[in-house]
Amino acid sequence: MKKGLITLVVNGDAHEVAVSSQHTLLDVLRGKLKLMGTKEGCTTGSCGVCTVHNGRGEAVLSCLTPALEWDCQAITTIEGLEQGGRLAPIQQAFIDYHAVQCGFCTPGVIMSAQAVLNLTPSPSEDDISDGLAGVICRCTGHIKVKEAIRHVGEYCSDGKA
Amino acid sequence: MAAKPEDSKPVDSNDGLSVIGRRQPRLDGFEKVSGRSVFTDDIVLPGMLHGRILRSPHARARIVSIDTSRALALPGVKAVISNADAPDLLFSDKQPLLAKGFVHYAGEEVAAVAATDALIAEAALDLIDVEYEVLPAVTSLRKAMQPDAPQLHEWAAGNVALTHEKDFGDPDGAFAASDLVVTDDFRSPVQHNTLAELHVALADFTNPDKLHMWTPTQGAPMYQMALAKAFGLETSQVRIVYGNVGGAFTGRGRAKPHHFIAALLSRQAGKPVKIKATGDEEFIMFRGSGETQYRFRTGVSRDGKIRALEADVTFDAGAHAEWAMILWLPAPYLNWLYKVDAVRYKGRFIYTNTVPKGSHHGGIFGRLSAGWMQHLNHVAEQLGMDPAEFHRINAIDPGHHALDGSDFASCGLKECIDKVVERSRWKDKYGKLPPWRGIGIDIGAQASGGKNAANDTSAAMLKVADDGIVTLYTGIPDMGQGSHTVMGMIAAEVLGIEPEDIRIVGGDSDITPFDWGAFSQRGTFTTGNAVKAAAEDARGQLAEIIAGLLGTAPGNLQFAHRRVWVQGEAPEAPGRSFSFREAIGKAFNGVEGRSIMGRGFFNSPRQSGSLAYSFGAQVAEVEVDPESGAVKVLKVTAAHDLGRALNPLAVEGQLDGQVFSGMSQVLYEECRMDGGQILNPSRLEYKLPRTYELPEVEYILVETIDPYGPFGAKEVGEGPIVVTMAAVANAVANAVGEMLPQIPMTPWRLLRVIRYRKRRAATGTGAGPQVSLTST
Repeated sequence: MKKGLITLVVNGDAHEVAVSSQHTLLDVLRGKLKLMGTKEGCTTGSCGVCTVHNGRGEAVLSCLTPALEWDCQAITTIEGLEQGGRLAPIQQAFIDYHAVQCGFCTPGVIMSAQAVLNLTPSPSEDDISDGLAGVICRCTGHIKVKEAIRHVGEYCSDGKA
Repeated sequence: MAAKPEDSKPVDSNDGLSVIGRRQPRLDGFEKVSGRSVFTDDIVLPGMLHGRILRSPHARARIVSIDTSRALALPGVKAVISNADAPDLLFSDKQPLLAKGFVHYAGEEVAAVAATDALIAEAALDLIDVEYEVLPAVTSLRKAMQPDAPQLHEWAAGNVALTHEKDFGDPDGAFAASDLVVTDDFRSPVQHNTLAELHVALADFTNPDKLHMWTPTQGAPMYQMALAKAFGLETSQVRIVYGNVGGAFTGRGRAKPHHFIAALLSRQAGKPVKIKATGDEEFIMFRGSGETQYRFRTGVSRDGKIRALEADVTFDAGAHAEWAMILWLPAPYLNWLYKVDAVRYKGRFIYTNTVPKGSHHGGIFGRLSAGWMQHLNHVAEQLGMDPAEFHRINAIDPGHHALDGSDFASCGLKECIDKVVERSRWKDKYGKLPPWRGIGIDIGAQASGGKNAANDTSAAMLKVADDGIVTLYTGIPDMGQGSHTVMGMIAAEVLGIEPEDIRIVGGDSDITPFDWGAFSQRGTFTTGNAVKAAAEDARGQLAEIIAGLLGTAPGNLQFAHRRVWVQGEAPEAPGRSFSFREAIGKAFNGVEGRSIMGRGFFNSPRQSGSLAYSFGAQVAEVEVDPESGAVKVLKVTAAHDLGRALNPLAVEGQLDGQVFSGMSQVLYEECRMDGGQILNPSRLEYKLPRTYELPEVEYILVETIDPYGPFGAKEVGEGPIVVTMAAVANAVANAVGEMLPQIPMTPWRLLRVIRYRKRRAATGTGAGPQVSLTST
């Protein structure tokens, strides 16, 4: 079994952690760094609740990603979205539009939504559907989730954010 | 302070409510969007071990031997248990917690391990040596009901676990008096609840006098009672903690074997133990819907009046009959929609060598309706009637007394039908759509709670701090439906403050007052009435003190907008009014030094059944691709009589989710079973809708202001999905021109129907053989 010491930059903070080839990025975030905001769902990449961002702001399934591959890389989790102690616009929109119900998938859904907005600040319907296709929300039917993303997209394109 | 239904005066929609009816965002929204919400798996206790369960690979076998010695020797392993360690520990009456001598289904719990690390626990499972002698198994309803089928249990001849038969009125007479009798068959498959938060239990049983268990649940008392009984404890010696619950969909009503096993491992190892299902294990241990067969029979008179209704339902119970309630629930339900002369229900539970079954989202009512409403539309077509008209002329009215004894004080069923017909432009579309487009209509009902035990009680407490902030203690779980927010709104409305002034303390049976929990659609109605009573109790105490200071009667005081004043005077009148916070200060710092605490409870005064029923009608519009068989749901127009929408924002969320889940069950969801093994145990292979499949949903909220509901409210948590399932089923049937005798209506099954119809049209043959959709 391969073992090693890796340095992860999570939400701007550097952490040195000992990992083996059995550990996923999710294991490190939750088990070692105690960042419990990212949830563990199916652990097989089919539900999307473990979604985090890589250094380019793209969505990554942390349950499928071997931790050893992440040495010296930057990661953003749900805990890293707040800006200056304030919720990010997408987080506030999820509250305002009732895009949250049980909340278990919410961190993964929000990280997926933010990844869409990172790529296309004013996403089309297809951009939103494609970007959210990898996460399963059983409560909301994704309907109000899409409304929240649409709102942030319009808000940003109006130059107000 | 018991809330009496007769005290709840009907209130009209313009009665000066300031919080109720507001589009109120969730009170726990900040925690949930920021990653601060703590779910069970986020809790790590000092010294905590990780448990894993060894499950039977066989559907039926004799256990020749179990040797756990190699697993115990693995470094890091702290406990290994099998039936030998707890031979008398029962999960239910006839069901040992860990398999004893025999296994009866693939996935049955045989042994379990607790270790310092989940990977070690997993490795230890491979070191438990179990020798099985495989026996012939009955792994489907069809096999179990064959005359020469092996018998699962000695007490169940013919593998019949339970039967329930009930006549209301004189069905034989009513059928004989009918001009037309139509019979249809229908089937629904094994379906899984696919909860967002996988099954998980964290047990601390290191003190033998107290079992602490952190787990998502729909209600603590059932878990407490089951665990207490199994371990020889009093109910109060079991504490259930359920802070955040990641969805339920009827899948968390009762404790499952992993709860008991976590407790047993914790007692054995002397450490807290967490057991969390893996993604595929979730599909093996679940208690969702079983295979179900239905035969519907309806007698009508020539003018379209329904005379007699009959449903005969055969359920796959799995290897143990855990959820007997499902068996008898259809009997009353058949009485709630139509004015009929007679109703007959026959149901049976059949044992099979599969995991014990329960229900999926929508309970038994959703899957039953997907068939029953297709059948009733078939009856309408046989009569040459528009189905919308057929449902309407037979629909019940407010004040109806049903044959099963149910009374419907409020009922907006006809209004729901009229609204969806109008808004969907039904009359312009039904029978007039282009090929492969379909439209379907149906109706449904749901009870708001109901007495299935000696009581159906919810209780609530609240305290008011000297800064005017109210802490509300409630045992109702918030599984996403928004109960905590609505309970906060109810308390705020009564006390004349804002929802933001309410702190909710929920989900800990050592702290929160008694509440059966969130099932049978009782939360808003029953717990809502309890919270209202508790808030009224607190307000009454405060009113007495303030009225004394102002020289008026307590009943003359008005509480709203964080102020207390005398009715008829100005809310801000100097010296004659107080802010809520000032008023609390007057009470706290007055002669008496009163700390305001309110308490209340609610229990339906009925002997059985429910006090209130919600009703709905929906129209679904679909498009079927005749080349691929794929269905696209275009639009769902949903009207629901929910009494009053306490929080319309949350109501819309409930409707969205139920439309999505209902469509999913009718079109996609199916556990593919073979020889008792599930072939698709993942959320990729067990098809669920994704973002690009969602239809447009138009909501119509019909407010009938129920006399017994808190501020007139009834349930909205499960009624809509029952109606969606049937609306989508009817729309697809309409698109292909044929009643579809099975869900899910997968592309492959639809292609078979489409090809059969094309062939029949080409050859000009008439009735032909009944098309079989069962083999895929």
